[in-house]
Amino acid sequence: MDTIQIGHILRAGATGFVAGCSVSQLEAPALGALVRAPLGDRYQVFGLITGIHIDDDGLVRQLVTAGEVSPEVMHDNRERRIVPVEMSVLAVGYEMEGRIFHLLPPRPPLSLDVIYLCSDGELVKFTSAGRFGYFRHILQAKDIPIGEVLAAHILDVRQKTKNERWGEEATRELITLLRDDYPTLMSVLGALGEVV
Amino acid sequence: MALNFQQVFDQIREIGAGARARREILDALRKRARTLFDSWADKTAELADKVERARQADSNLRCAIPLAGRLDASHPAPVDEKPVTLLAADGSQILPDRHAALLYSLVNVGAIVLETRSGRAPETFTDSNLYYADEIYTETGMLTEEAIEQRRDIAERKKLLELAKPADGPCVALTDGPVELWGAKNGGEGDYRKNLEIHKSVLSQMQAKNMTVAGYVDKPGADLLIRTLEIAGLADEQMKDIRRQHPLRGVSDRWLFSAILEPGCRSAIFGLQSSSRPHYTGSLALHFFYLNVGQAKRPSLVRVEIPQWVADDEEKLNLLHAALLEQCRIMGARPYPYILHRAHEIAVVKFEEKRQVEQMLEIELRKAGSELDEGSNKQSAKDLKGRSRNQSAGRAV
Repeated sequence: MDTIQIGHILRAGATGFVAGCSVSQLEAPALGALVRAPLGDRYQVFGLITGIHIDDDGLVRQLVTAGEVSPEVMHDNRERRIVPVEMSVLAVGYEMEGRIFHLLPPRPPLSLDVIYLCSDGELVKFTSAGRFGYFRHILQAKDIPIGEVLAAHILDVRQKTKNERWGEEATRELITLLRDDYPTLMSVLGALGEVV
Repeated sequence: MALNFQQVFDQIREIGAGARARREILDALRKRARTLFDSWADKTAELADKVERARQADSNLRCAIPLAGRLDASHPAPVDEKPVTLLAADGSQILPDRHAALLYSLVNVGAIVLETRSGRAPETFTDSNLYYADEIYTETGMLTEEAIEQRRDIAERKKLLELAKPADGPCVALTDGPVELWGAKNGGEGDYRKNLEIHKSVLSQMQAKNMTVAGYVDKPGADLLIRTLEIAGLADEQMKDIRRQHPLRGVSDRWLFSAILEPGCRSAIFGLQSSSRPHYTGSLALHFFYLNVGQAKRPSLVRVEIPQWVADDEEKLNLLHAALLEQCRIMGARPYPYILHRAHEIAVVKFEEKRQVEQMLEIELRKAGSELDEGSNKQSAKDLKGRSRNQSAGRAV
């Protein structure tokens, strides 16, 4: 099993959590990627990355006004200074006793719990369980770019699983779920049009 | 209400009303200073003699000693593309607080090593020293703020010495503030004398490692050359009363050199006349120059203090000059050496960290069954809810 550690939990709730990581860890996570936070031998929470946020500080603001930034200064700021990189993760399900549920987790992860990027196998296992039940968490989420997150997620699954059929079924499911919400449907289909 | 704003407002209006008159006086003083500067610019030997006579009248005199060459010399930025190892250290300290429950002190030194043109991330280091029980007392009583600051200054330079690898090529070591160790300079203070010997020993070892050592003084307040010009304008019979003679008070070295030094240029090198001069002799004798790290319409004058072994070495001077300009450029419109800012950032002890240290110390002492004191009632009253949010900007004792 691939175990790419991408950060630690900073704060968490029933519907999602925020993880922090160093800039050097930032190559692994991407918008729409499925991540997991193991909370015990038989229980782990799954989530989708819905945002990646990098805070500035006074020094960074001053450096960018100075023009050219030398490689040494760039490395210093990225590797030595505390640059807070935060990932917002939407809880989309959990695994308990080997069974996947597309429900909100019974309890959230705790501060400093490690989160990992899901391996291809875990991605298949989670996305193929049930019938896209976790899409409702994404569609109900507030303040996230729903269409973009779904497009990034579907592209990620198709590229990693090579399962074209899954992408088509996912799109049909989204059309069904959004049949009464025309503006969101158009927004989602617009984004999906870029990847399907 | 903490302030009587009516009284303060009246005083502010008076200040405003006198601004024009003060400006006229300052303009006249500046004109006088500039005239003196121009007329003495090529008479440095004669001026140095006057400074010596003034020093004989007052050994605590603090001013610039003109050396060979012109006073108004300006040296342009050297073209130096050579890679150099830059070291910087800065320190912070927690002072013993007799009102606190725990009586301790802490000196924290942050250091950074940056190899220019390497493309690599710099290395950062932190050394923290906790002083407790007997360690916070001297023969004469509890460690003073001054004594702790001296320990901090020495720790900064020791760290720079430890990090220097002379085999790796040219190495510039920077600290914020003067190279001179501050403190009671009459030599009678045991602590100062002891620390001074350590300080000089560290400087000598830095020289042995062929390091280019400098202290960077941003917005310098000591108007050393203006003081020298004041001496220049005095008759010999006025020398005995030198302490009271400040005919150019208000005029600053920064103003004087901002009209002389183009961006990137440094001034002539001057010797430093201060009460510590007898202690820093030979290759450790302290010198300084001014450097304009600003831009065409916004000069920014800083003072750079160096020991004699650096002042005497053209290559080291150029290396230092180029390195400081490059470091200041990184910070854009508010020039200050990036590496010094980073050393400060590493060294600073945050309030939360201070609290954690105190908690750890308290837990350890409790486990060992030690008797723990309580904070003072005065401190307790100050910490009462409602007051703690309005922390005083000044220090009321």
